[in-house]
Amino acid sequence: MTDNTTHLTEDERHTAADGSLPAERRAHVEAHLAACDTCAADVARIVAFMKRTQESTAPGAAASLDELWSPIRARIEATKVVALDAPTPSTSTRSPVRLVVAGIAAALLITTIVLRIRPHEQQTSVVAEAAPDSSLLRAVADSTKAYEAEAQILLDRLEIQRATMRPEARAAIDRNLHVVDVAIAELKDAIARDPNNPALRQLLATSYRQKVELLKRANAS
Amino acid sequence: MNARAPESSRLVQAESESARIDDAVRRARQGDVGAFEIVYRAHAARIYALCRRMVGDDAQARDLVQDVFVRAWERLTTFREQSAFGTWLHRLAVNVVLEQLRSRKRDDARHTDADEWLAGPGSLAERLDTRMDLDKALARLPAGARTVFLLHDIEGYSHDEIAQMTGIAPGTARAQLWRARRALMGMLDV
Repeated sequence: MTDNTTHLTEDERHTAADGSLPAERRAHVEAHLAACDTCAADVARIVAFMKRTQESTAPGAAASLDELWSPIRARIEATKVVALDAPTPSTSTRSPVRLVVAGIAAALLITTIVLRIRPHEQQTSVVAEAAPDSSLLRAVADSTKAYEAEAQILLDRLEIQRATMRPEARAAIDRNLHVVDVAIAELKDAIARDPNNPALRQLLATSYRQKVELLKRANAS
Repeated sequence: MNARAPESSRLVQAESESARIDDAVRRARQGDVGAFEIVYRAHAARIYALCRRMVGDDAQARDLVQDVFVRAWERLTTFREQSAFGTWLHRLAVNVVLEQLRSRKRDDARHTDADEWLAGPGSLAERLDTRMDLDKALARLPAGARTVFLLHDIEGYSHDEIAQMTGIAPGTARAQLWRARRALMGMLDV
């Protein structure tokens, strides 16, 4: 069996080598391999190569991976504080009642945390344990600025939509925004008294994120 | 009997370590960053190896390891304990790396031109160190072929799973795999 026209296809050789040959082709391929030295040698090469790759050791890192934990933790701390729930399906996001509940819950949570981490009190939250390192403060400040800008864009867009909104939906959105804005104002006030408190800055970023989320839901409703 | 004692001791240690990590995963899901550090230390090496092989570069792999664990933290609540955490994390890591690869407009200049490596491995082999190991050879494959090869031959994903993850047709994934194997065989002089 040395005629090129009858050799196994590339697909057959590889699937014969890695064991993924379809059952209906197996008898034909095995019969061919038993008779064709060229194909048998090639399949054996592929098998040898696969064995070699499976035996190869995974690459190790040039430097310790332990040092990556610190930046990972900083990124986690910058975003976690008050975890936002994943956006709910569109049907539920359109309900003004849910908007009110979500907004008030978010703002109450923020306000509660603000009250707990007043600078003169013992800091007990996980976030408050974070050391006030300058890169974290900078990252949080950048994040706050970005959310602030995004919130303004969404507010502008909402203004355009207002005219077409139902009065009750408009009122619900206004109530929500007011509650979150009060929380933001409290946080800004707290930061003015304790500017190097990373937990307060993270909370401010989070409250802006809450505001952006509310505005996005409002714009989608 | 003497030989069995250390073996059973190792098994007990492994089970205890596994239980410790499972517990850390549970606590991390509840927001405990300290517990997540235990999870990180248990899985970082494997995730690094995956990233390193997929992108072929230490610095990029280290960046990706960070991205993977930050993403894992964000998605921890979606992890269902019915499946193994390691499997869940591995799949998430593959997705993070694939997203990064997709975001690249072109292959890195380090990679050989697709036509060149498809033309046959002989000319490449001449320019490569004969003692080249698999990872160096892998780094010279185009990203798409490298990805398919790694996911199938190293990580054990099926063609259908690879097609789903990468967005290419299963038939294309198979063809990429055959070509990648041939190119690597040439480079490694198998």
